[in-house]
Amino acid sequence: MRNRILGSLLLVCLSVLSVSASDQSILLTFIPNVQFSPFYVGIDGGYFEEAGFNVTLEHLQEPDVLDLVAVGQANFGIVSGEQVILARAQGRDVVYVFEWFQRYPVGLAYSSALDLSDLSDLSGLKVGIPGRFGASYSGLTTLLHSAGLTEDDIEVVEIGFNAPEVFCLGEIDAAIVYVNNEPLQIRERAQAGDCGAVADVDVVSVASQVDLVSNGMIVSRDLLADEPGAARRMAGALGAALREAIDNPAGAYLTSLNHVDDLPQSADFVAELQAASERQRAFLAANPDRAAIARSRQDLAEALAAQFEAALLTQFNVLLNTIELWEADRLGYSDLASWEAMRETLDLMGYLDGDLGDLADAFTNEFLAGNDG
Amino acid sequence: MQESSRTATAKIEKRSLSARGNTLRRLSPLATVLLLLLIWLWISDREIISPILVPPPADVAAAFADALADGSLAAHSFTTLGEMFYGLLLGVGIGLAIGYAIAKAPVLEHVLSPIIVAFQSTPIVAYAPLLIIWFGTGPASKVVTTAVIVFFPTLVNTIAGVRAVSPNLLDVMRSLDAGRWQIFRLLELPAASPVLLAGLKTSSTLAVIGAVVGEFVNPQRGLGYLVTSARNRYDTPLVYVSVLTMTAIALSLYSLVALVEWRCLSWRRRSLN
Repeated sequence: MRNRILGSLLLVCLSVLSVSASDQSILLTFIPNVQFSPFYVGIDGGYFEEAGFNVTLEHLQEPDVLDLVAVGQANFGIVSGEQVILARAQGRDVVYVFEWFQRYPVGLAYSSALDLSDLSDLSGLKVGIPGRFGASYSGLTTLLHSAGLTEDDIEVVEIGFNAPEVFCLGEIDAAIVYVNNEPLQIRERAQAGDCGAVADVDVVSVASQVDLVSNGMIVSRDLLADEPGAARRMAGALGAALREAIDNPAGAYLTSLNHVDDLPQSADFVAELQAASERQRAFLAANPDRAAIARSRQDLAEALAAQFEAALLTQFNVLLNTIELWEADRLGYSDLASWEAMRETLDLMGYLDGDLGDLADAFTNEFLAGNDG
Repeated sequence: MQESSRTATAKIEKRSLSARGNTLRRLSPLATVLLLLLIWLWISDREIISPILVPPPADVAAAFADALADGSLAAHSFTTLGEMFYGLLLGVGIGLAIGYAIAKAPVLEHVLSPIIVAFQSTPIVAYAPLLIIWFGTGPASKVVTTAVIVFFPTLVNTIAGVRAVSPNLLDVMRSLDAGRWQIFRLLELPAASPVLLAGLKTSSTLAVIGAVVGEFVNPQRGLGYLVTSARNRYDTPLVYVSVLTMTAIALSLYSLVALVEWRCLSWRRRSLN
């Protein structure tokens, strides 16, 4: 009897140990921002904990994220696809296991007064870009290539991450921007009469021209060899949290308030979001299709726009715009064609000077939900 | 006779020992560099730290040779040097002028110190993006960033140097009917020069930081750009080459000012001896 009790206790202890969350950092880029809401939902909604992870988020420069994952100082990181290709060509054996952004987030913003319906009309114009690196530069190269142009046909101005300011000062004709964020800022300035002669902006996105692999989660090859289950559980948890953020943006924004200090809010706005989130949960319980959920987001945006000032809604609208870049039937999935398109872009940029090896080794869909076992 | 011979021998021995001591002192920085190189070799040879983070010295040497051969290292170094030069000129010039004015009219210190201290206590990286917006994306914003960072040590040392001039000597000059310009040229400038040159030594190393911070915030050209570009291409050896070049520039500039200081202050050494 005593042995049986001891054995039961041991079993309980072991089971507690086996589900105890392991401390994991997920390395992100940029700064805490509403665009990272799926990760906040993953933490506050218990998705990561359920998968066995006690997650903390850290924000670093993209190359630092990649190197720390490559040398095993962190298990999970979020970087853009081109960084994976560049880093693999320089001997970093990392593997991309979950495509977070299904559409490339970069595009070209220009004054609506300009007619750039044909991109080849960019010729001779001054185009601002953060610098000749990263997703922005890949985006510019792709846009120029798709228009039959090269860098020599335009005047590239490196402006750092100051596109709205420099654009509104009139120093450039167009700017390479993140389509979910900066056009909103420029538009708001223009509507406030604070953007020189610019009355409104139009955007042509890279995704409308070519499907390039975008931001996603990476792990090291060693982790896949030693703990493939960890990659599977993390991809599953991220997928579930991402789906919740996509389906219930009001809830995702409220969760983000716990993690992002300067998110605009007011008592009325928060109360409205709480009510909207509850309504959305009830709506989702009826298993609506993707189109109906997309319409519900649009309805929410319109309802909020009628009640609140634009400045209060900016970051919520950034979230809604970003959701359009995440949305897919199968979250996390990336295909070889988008990787090949990215490699071609990097080749055009003259950035691929190492041995990349087989491009198919750079990513896998093996750990996505539905691929268990 | 024997006594004097012994004394002469002792003097020669002492001089020889002193010369040996000087040689050792001169060689010690080289020995430090060699030791660091050996530690680096040892770490990379045994892969104690991943070569992704600490590449072998041979890889860095190869990257240096490549960057030298294709001209990119020289081009970016000259850009940074140019920004440093004009930044130093501007920052040191303004620092000297305002520092002298404050030293001579203490009321100015009360008027200007809140602005100067506020400006100085804010990290340059915090307002460097604003300088890019105000002064444009060209070299002007980097020159201003450099000027801002070298301004404060120049200002502080100018105030300290000019205020340290002996009031007795000032009285002597005035009793001799010396004009303001004569007092400045013949007394204040020579008397303050040790402190001024010490400030210039600090400013010369800070100038590299100023230029590179500007290039990091708005990377277009220069060694800061080279680091950013190499980092984004995962070319760690080239990052090392860029950083070592910055160090070499800072050291060279520091040594140059030290040499100027040694030359300019020879009168002081003689008077002290």
